[in-house]
Amino acid sequence: MANQTPAVVMDNGTGFSKLGFAGNDSPSFVFPTAIATKGGAAGSGGTGSGRPAVANKPSFLTGGAGPGGHLSTKRGTEDLDFFIGDEAIAAANGPGYGLHYPIRHGQIENWDHMERFWSNSIFKYLRVEPEDHYFLLTEPPLNPPENRENTAEIFFESFNCAGLYIAVQAVLALAASWTSAKVSDRSLTGTVIDSGDGVTHVIPVAEGYVIGSSIKSIPIAGRDITYFVQSLLRDRGEPDSSLKTAQEIKEEYCYVCPDIVKEFSKFDRDRSRFAKHVVSQPGGRQVTVDVGYERFLAPEIFFNPEIYSSDFLTPLPVVVDGVIQSSPIDVRRGLYKNIVLSGGSTLYKDFGRRLQRDIKHLVDARIRASEVRSGGAKSGGLEVQVITHKRQRHGPWFGGSLLGQTPEFRSYCHTKAEYQEYGPGIVRRFALLGGPGGS
Amino acid sequence: MSQSLRPYLQCVRSTLTAALCLSNFASQTSERHNVPEIEAQTSPEVLLNPLVIARNENEKVLIEPSINSVRISIKIKQADEIENILVHKFTRFLTQRAEAFFILRRKPIKGYDISFLITNFHTEEMLKHKLVDFIIQFMEEVDKEISEMKLFLNARARFVAESFLTPFD
Amino acid sequence: MLLLDYQNVLIESILKERLFGAPPASIDQTVSDFDGVIFHISTPETKTKILVSIQIRCFRDLVKYGAEQVLQREYGPYVVAPETGYDFSVQVDLENLPEEKEAREELVSKISLLKRNAMAAPFEHAYAEHYKLKEEASKYTSEEAPQGVREGGEIMAIHYRDEEAIYVKASHDRVTVIFSTIFREETDRVFGKVFIQEFVDARRRAIQNAPQVLFRNDPPLELQGVPGVQATEGNEVGYVTFVLFPRHLTPQRMPDVISHIQTFRDYFHYHIKASKAYIHSRMRRRTADFLQVLRRARPENEEKERKTASGRTFKVQA
Repeated sequence: MANQTPAVVMDNGTGFSKLGFAGNDSPSFVFPTAIATKGGAAGSGGTGSGRPAVANKPSFLTGGAGPGGHLSTKRGTEDLDFFIGDEAIAAANGPGYGLHYPIRHGQIENWDHMERFWSNSIFKYLRVEPEDHYFLLTEPPLNPPENRENTAEIFFESFNCAGLYIAVQAVLALAASWTSAKVSDRSLTGTVIDSGDGVTHVIPVAEGYVIGSSIKSIPIAGRDITYFVQSLLRDRGEPDSSLKTAQEIKEEYCYVCPDIVKEFSKFDRDRSRFAKHVVSQPGGRQVTVDVGYERFLAPEIFFNPEIYSSDFLTPLPVVVDGVIQSSPIDVRRGLYKNIVLSGGSTLYKDFGRRLQRDIKHLVDARIRASEVRSGGAKSGGLEVQVITHKRQRHGPWFGGSLLGQTPEFRSYCHTKAEYQEYGPGIVRRFALLGGPGGS
Repeated sequence: MSQSLRPYLQCVRSTLTAALCLSNFASQTSERHNVPEIEAQTSPEVLLNPLVIARNENEKVLIEPSINSVRISIKIKQADEIENILVHKFTRFLTQRAEAFFILRRKPIKGYDISFLITNFHTEEMLKHKLVDFIIQFMEEVDKEISEMKLFLNARARFVAESFLTPFD
Repeated sequence: MLLLDYQNVLIESILKERLFGAPPASIDQTVSDFDGVIFHISTPETKTKILVSIQIRCFRDLVKYGAEQVLQREYGPYVVAPETGYDFSVQVDLENLPEEKEAREELVSKISLLKRNAMAAPFEHAYAEHYKLKEEASKYTSEEAPQGVREGGEIMAIHYRDEEAIYVKASHDRVTVIFSTIFREETDRVFGKVFIQEFVDARRRAIQNAPQVLFRNDPPLELQGVPGVQATEGNEVGYVTFVLFPRHLTPQRMPDVISHIQTFRDYFHYHIKASKAYIHSRMRRRTADFLQVLRRARPENEEKERKTASGRTFKVQA
């Protein structure tokens, strides 16, 4: 082919899907991974999906008439009648449509919906002929290989895509950090802290392979911070304490402080630190909301979860340290040296710096203790480094975009011909993109 | 149900019920092995006569009994190119999920579209008459499914064509 | 979604955002459209100047049939020298926009239709030729018309994909548009055949005024002698012919007809894929049903031994 078509990079997350073309620095489309279909909302479908209209009684009970007769189903075109993304949410507010989220906890739950979600993503939004393009998809860590096979079945059999690569999100997030000035060697060893809307994961990756047994999740993420801000606003009796306002305040004013006690007194000494947030309410009215201690208290729930939650009390730095300590000993040094942030809830100012300091404290304390125990032996110390970079928000997508534009990307993909030769099992293994021997 | 289908299925049912008389049987050729004899084909004395039940030349069932296993291969009706493709797609979709189906063979016997392999271990942990029910119901429904999919395809094609051409009107 | 959009959604949404209030920001996106078209949206000089460039595989074909005039007409003041590596560029200066909201909206939709407008040239050319020939033909009765009038204009070939092309030919009473199609995949070929058959039949059955659609596996007579068209062995390649009749050829309907017919191939492929997706979901459902039947063959779990809290068990008295 004379001019190669850019690879399509799709990162379908639980909350949002990021779609775009390799080589760009941001996804072309970011919208909710939601699909609105005609008929009842989620839950009414009973087992799995409510569709398609296949007789669920044995055939001899429905007679020979087929499912419900063809006239009543309007020639069976209801499967084209759906919306995805923002349009889905708009449609679900109106009558007749029910909203579904095909991905739960990072994994695809409803393949019928996902297949149609992809079909619409490709043809309506990205506007590409899948036969002409290579695709890079992402999957969560610990995704069962059967899910990969199902994905491949859809992409090769329904869409006839030219080639497919499925990468683990955490590995792509590591690749995305290569743009940071702090990263000197492009290694695929590191700890990824991926904090999105629903859940925060700490994922150790060694040489491009996820150390599955050491992954830890924290039930504190973006949504919780929003709720926390909202509760503080409510406590103070602010004129507007809607979730939307709380989210705006969170995104605009919050930062991480080195020490809460000092920060409190700083606020008390310097009134200018209190901000005012103007909310325009429907109807043209404008209200002013005071923004106070929540500026630094909100992200603090990562470091002192007890101020927000009563059942999860381990601070993030301790979790990260624990994850690395539970990983094989020969990779720990690399894991400490390359802690990479990814996802929207890691964007607070100084988040990385605070995390690095806290982890460093833990590590140094442990080293000192063992020095004392060993009676005089000196440790060479351990380097702890948290990497923050500009592409953090859509880290996995950006990593995919970076790798998808490399000239050797296509040789790492499985092609349609290979799929037909070996069957779906072929996607259980992919050569490591960007790993040793790669770029 | 058309007139010839009922006796066809009835015949398959009786044959299967008779054939599914299996017992544990260790391999005679390799020690400490216990393999489905019908697949191994190493001891001719434990293989029984294979049987073909045909409704017509496009629809037939091959039943190959042996002492500890029965292989059932089905040729699904395919009247034209479309049905051919649909049958192919559907059987491939099923064999892809053979793991969940226990008795489904990953590869059909040559000349047939889909094969099942029932061993004595299956009959020991599952009810024999229900297994027969499953095969019969499978045969019934697969035909229906294929013809429904074909109907769908035609209806969809018509709808799509008309929708594209309507703006010209 | 039934019909495909004519415009590129991404360009539309980016421009809409920028032209209606959002603060200028630097943009640098390379995006694709159907048929290997590549767009590049960027702000090379300042954040307020948005450059949209297009790369089309068959641009040389299109230029031959007057694409430059069409684009010049559509984008006049916005046209700039094409960016290197691209075929055509337009630039919008955010500081120098039309005042009225409608005019801005029109500008957005115009630019998002860049691909459509580039591809429109041969069709417009054919329309023009048709009008001319019609006028000439009206001077003669059908028997005595000179050779040139009866045969119509020359064939215009647009090689818009590697292996597929659109051919357009005008004559005094019709414009013929021929798509050559190719299917790599057996399933697609069979599905495609079913779909095309319905396209062919639709006119006879439901929509009498639609263009006539014909399908054949060997090149139609119109294409004889056109370079690059050879009779292929096997039935891999097909030729879909649309015959546009005078009622479709009025100047008022021209823009819509051209937009619509361009989407044929992608529409056609989209629906083949959508029906495969539907069949997949049917098969998933049916497989689940079969599994349920098979599960019935497993006997109910035998009653497990029940224990009390202290660990004693119940015994069935014989």
